[in-house]
Amino acid sequence: MNTVLATMVAVTVLSAAGCMPVVAAIGLRWFAVPLVPLAGAVLAGLAASASLSFGGGLLNWFVGLAMVAAGAVFALWVMHPERGPWPSSSSSDVPGRGRHRLIGAVGFVVVLMSCAWSLRGLRSPTVGFDARALWVMRPGWFLQSHAQLLIDMKARDLQLTQSAYPPLVSAVAAVAWKITGIHTARLGVALIAVLNACALATAALALVEVGRGVSARLVRRSSGPPGPSKPPWAPMVIGVVAAVLLVFVAAGATEPFLTNGYADPIWSLAAVGAVAYGLQVHVDRSTRSAAALLILVAGLSKNEGFVTATALVVLIAARSIGVSGLRAGWRRWASPVMLAACELAILVWWPVLMKAIGARGATSSFSTSGDLASRATATMHGMSPYLHVLVVAAPVAVVGGLLLSSVRRRGGIGNDLWAWLALVAGLAAVGGALVTGSGAIEPWIRSTVHRITEYPLLEGWWILAVWGVVASAGIGAGIGAGIGAGSVPLDADAITTDARAMAPDGLIEVGNADTFVAGAAR
Amino acid sequence: MTPVGTPEGTHRPHPVKTALVTVGSCLVVVVALAALTGQAARGYSTVSQQMDSHAVHDAQVDDAFYRCIDVQAHSLVATDQSVRLSAENLADVVTMIKGFGNWVKVAERSSPAQVVLTLRNDTSGPEACLGTRVVATSVGLDGRTLVRLGTGDHVDGQGPPPAPPL
Repeated sequence: MNTVLATMVAVTVLSAAGCMPVVAAIGLRWFAVPLVPLAGAVLAGLAASASLSFGGGLLNWFVGLAMVAAGAVFALWVMHPERGPWPSSSSSDVPGRGRHRLIGAVGFVVVLMSCAWSLRGLRSPTVGFDARALWVMRPGWFLQSHAQLLIDMKARDLQLTQSAYPPLVSAVAAVAWKITGIHTARLGVALIAVLNACALATAALALVEVGRGVSARLVRRSSGPPGPSKPPWAPMVIGVVAAVLLVFVAAGATEPFLTNGYADPIWSLAAVGAVAYGLQVHVDRSTRSAAALLILVAGLSKNEGFVTATALVVLIAARSIGVSGLRAGWRRWASPVMLAACELAILVWWPVLMKAIGARGATSSFSTSGDLASRATATMHGMSPYLHVLVVAAPVAVVGGLLLSSVRRRGGIGNDLWAWLALVAGLAAVGGALVTGSGAIEPWIRSTVHRITEYPLLEGWWILAVWGVVASAGIGAGIGAGIGAGSVPLDADAITTDARAMAPDGLIEVGNADTFVAGAAR
Repeated sequence: MTPVGTPEGTHRPHPVKTALVTVGSCLVVVVALAALTGQAARGYSTVSQQMDSHAVHDAQVDDAFYRCIDVQAHSLVATDQSVRLSAENLADVVTMIKGFGNWVKVAERSSPAQVVLTLRNDTSGPEACLGTRVVATSVGLDGRTLVRLGTGDHVDGQGPPPAPPL
């Protein structure tokens, strides 16, 4: 079996494991497709944690967890058939529905093709330094006996402190090695690259969703002449164009690490996707589930991803609850808090385990307080050349916030400040590690800054792209429908009058833009 | 509730505001798409550079080097033998981890390893991997120290292999 075939087999196995949970949680949505192998990857990461915690083979745990997840979904569908993915009896003759579906399909195809094309760097058989030393070396440890795995993780002679990093990337490679019988770094690198592309596709498809969502909401909000109106093309088309451009931007920003086995791209791209679905795209069960899954991918991939994912869990819970939720009863905030607690419990499992077994690298040393100022300055100077997008994104966000916040709100897109908060959280996670760490700062920054700034860089591009889509709606709104800044009174109740008819994916909205009760989202 | 689309729910759009929103929207669309397009073009070129013949050659040499020392380690150690990687030289430890760290059975600190592996650099000859050979030191049945050199593969030239990006 060659590497290409082995990679396909591994992706198929991961997809088989992740399929049922994703369909149950997200439904039949275009952005669910690239999430399927990522869900399998999360199961592999959890299997590695379970294997190290309780003993037993990694593959046994992987298969067991996949079967438990599938069984739970099956039981849920039997007991609650209305939660299943089968089509509902919603009306199909809604004006503009065909347009919506067409854009969804076109967006999916072109984003997928762009992602596949961005993996052409795999033609070069590069295996990155850290990839060979850690990410696609550690899979061999996960396939050894439990006793040997403990020695590998603890033996001080090995000196590899990064082996305490979260397990997802190595666990996925271990599953691939075990299933195919091919124990090569190349297979690990190829599989990780495909998962990177899945995370990238998911984040980019959020832009397509933004375009479609804004378009649908502008129709029902528009105060134009009476009679059936179709969703405007501009936001949908710009959404697709921006999504494709974002794929190429992200591929360029993450190379060579996108295709050489590093873990930085997968956590960065997954975190961008989590911000998109959790804090920006209109909230429903599908997008909330997608955000939760992407948070797990980011948090189980690398230490920086763990810290950022933890911050995102808090931000998403805060947005779900909102100020009004705090004033309301516990029923309003119990669900977001429970979801956040479950995510945090899964995320902290691995770091707690590393501490518990006394793994090499589980403890950190910190610089003295006297060094902090100089380290902070060096970190800022080191990072700033890689964050040039902020020079464009920040003024655009200010202009957008002043002129287009009404259009953005009416389009159902979350406040831009959430995305900026998430960006700052990611920057703080990486910058904080550099500033408080004890390693020599200059060489540390020189050798890592390109990849550790991937997340804030990509988040900045995502913010810019969203404003592009929102603004394309603003042009039409400003000219045709008179939806300018404050030109139409905010009337949350009005959504309910035609939401059922115009919702793009069978979505049923109730109340304001942040409070949606999703029907079977399709 | 005020239904949208009725005179009660609609304010007459202020022409200045409408014009401002339209101009601002156009500006934001143009700036966002122009910036994305420019960076996408740069990204496209960055990805294409990964297939540059020089990069491909370096990757092939790197791959051949680590495959070579992996084969040599296999010629010296059985998979069930416990091993210690000599920690005298940190760079060598990292090279050994990268080459065969995924399958060797590292010995527990409290028990002696059956084989100690190290690298001998700057050697020449037909059995070297870019001038490096894997060396196994063990104690024979007669109690004498046994030093063996890895065999089974070689890569011509002198190392180290080209450094991949960090």
